[in-house]
Amino acid sequence: MMSSRSLPRNLSRLLLVTFFLLTVPTALKAQDGKQLFNAKCASCHAVDKNLVGPALKGVEERWPERDKLYAWINNSSALIKTGYPRAVEVYNQFNKIQMAAFPELKPADIDAILAYIATAGTPKPSESSTSGGAAVSEEDDSDSGLLYGILTLTLAVIALILLQVNSNLRKMTDEKGNASTPEPIPFWRNKAYIALAAILLFMGGGYITFQSAQGLGRSKNYQPEQPIYYSHTVHAGINQINCLYCHGGAQESKHANIPSVNVCMNCHMAINEYAKGPKLYREDGKEVDGTAEIRKLYQYAGWDPDAKMYTGQGKPIEWIRIHNLPDHVYFNHAQHVKAGKVQCQTCHGEIQKMGEVYQASDLSMGWCINCHRESKVQFTDNKYYSIYEKFHEDIKNKRMDSVTVEKIGGTECQKCHY
Amino acid sequence: MQMMNRRMIYPFALLLIAATFGCSSEVKRKPGRVYMPDMAYSRAYETYSSNPVFVDGQTNRQPVAGTVKRGADWVYHLAKDAEGDTSHYFASQMTKNPFPALDDGQMKEAERLYLINCGICHGTKLDGNGPLWKDGDGPYPAKPAALVGDAKYESMPEGQMFYSVTYGKNLMGPYASQLDTKQRWMVIAYIKAKQGKTAPAAATANP
Repeated sequence: MMSSRSLPRNLSRLLLVTFFLLTVPTALKAQDGKQLFNAKCASCHAVDKNLVGPALKGVEERWPERDKLYAWINNSSALIKTGYPRAVEVYNQFNKIQMAAFPELKPADIDAILAYIATAGTPKPSESSTSGGAAVSEEDDSDSGLLYGILTLTLAVIALILLQVNSNLRKMTDEKGNASTPEPIPFWRNKAYIALAAILLFMGGGYITFQSAQGLGRSKNYQPEQPIYYSHTVHAGINQINCLYCHGGAQESKHANIPSVNVCMNCHMAINEYAKGPKLYREDGKEVDGTAEIRKLYQYAGWDPDAKMYTGQGKPIEWIRIHNLPDHVYFNHAQHVKAGKVQCQTCHGEIQKMGEVYQASDLSMGWCINCHRESKVQFTDNKYYSIYEKFHEDIKNKRMDSVTVEKIGGTECQKCHY
Repeated sequence: MQMMNRRMIYPFALLLIAATFGCSSEVKRKPGRVYMPDMAYSRAYETYSSNPVFVDGQTNRQPVAGTVKRGADWVYHLAKDAEGDTSHYFASQMTKNPFPALDDGQMKEAERLYLINCGICHGTKLDGNGPLWKDGDGPYPAKPAALVGDAKYESMPEGQMFYSVTYGKNLMGPYASQLDTKQRWMVIAYIKAKQGKTAPAAATANP
């Protein structure tokens, strides 16, 4: 009786130890490398695909001299000037686009990045052909999570089987010896097992319930397929068009307007093909024909590109709205952009790197409130806040150094719900 | 045998849970569900929603023809030339900037408007070398006008510039939907100020 109870306890201890052993060692180097890669490299490089710059997989083989690779990353144009053949070759191969210099990266940092690149590409090369570096890393994360999950499960199953074999063997020896041993408790009536299963179910079920309940109404990462493949990477990233060129309403009204087609045609009357930029891919890895997408725009605009005239047969483009606050929340773009001087990217993520736009923030209330608590209001040279005389006075007298949005009522219910 | 079957349930249940957590890397093409759709989604027609009331099916309306917005300081009297006609374009030479000269703050705002709306083609230095042209490496197939250093634009009357910015000229599109009347005049005042100042300097010493 005693032994059959203590066995599951030992087992769970064993499982716990194996679980920790499996999760801990991945932490240090590759983690830093991944962060650095996403921060410094991912805007132009992917591990498995040529973007602005080459795919970085196998970069260590292509650069046999490590010193030169460090030099290249720290200041590529200087290395090109020295005439180092590999540097010149890459430069010419990638349309003479100069790689930004990263003098702040030390050899150790670069080693960490290279270590990450070496591990990142290997498990699923076909999976990582998405356009954004962030998406790639997320996939890798969940991959390793799944792997550990499966490993733990397999171990658990093996342990269970061994446990059964053990008890069966004991039963057999008991039967051979003397018959006076008590009837063994079957698997499904063993209280230890039942308790373990109940706890696991409770925790797992609770986690799923909580996650999905909290996720209701939140559309983080929502990335619908739009009627035209409009790449913010190309427009706002490569071609450096200011967000406000198209979405000028963001500084003047509640809405950041969707540009009307005539704004597209300002440039696309002349730009009728996509020829000079990098190749474009949808999230599922399908290549996009940029020229065909521009043709779609002409259809909507009612523009005849051959005759260079409007036909008058246009129809509105039915863009799919991504960021959708519930109707009971008031949000004003002008207030944030013009008075608050908040950058678009603060809420919308690195939109200039998005091929297909996704919702970068979850737009939950906690997220709003958090930012209101932490953000400092720009009081200087901002006429909008001149009415807060006491705060201005306090700042002048050095009684406070900054004012958060919360202090001017940014967390009051009625500010957003009325 | 029955005991065996029951035992098999547990690994499968665990696998199911693992699978639920594992499938999170897909592209999210659907927005997901909401608690109370009637509170989340507007029942009123929103700016960009379709609308059965209007013939063109859009909620977003144009201002009624011939109306002037509230608080408008000035109304442009010239209409767009018909195809092949240039009479208004030439008549626009006579139009003078109705607004007083810009102070420093307004000039800064005018510069900001220029950089957002014009700089991508005409360049931050007004030399016609914006990121869309980039010495021919950009996607724009035509070299945009150099507003500074080109005699044609240096001597172009501000009224004619206003006409071009309002209705478009050649490959340049109209900017009346992006910049209101006053903002257009501010941008033109900014260009004229730059032209007066930097033209001789640019000719002698190239920075």
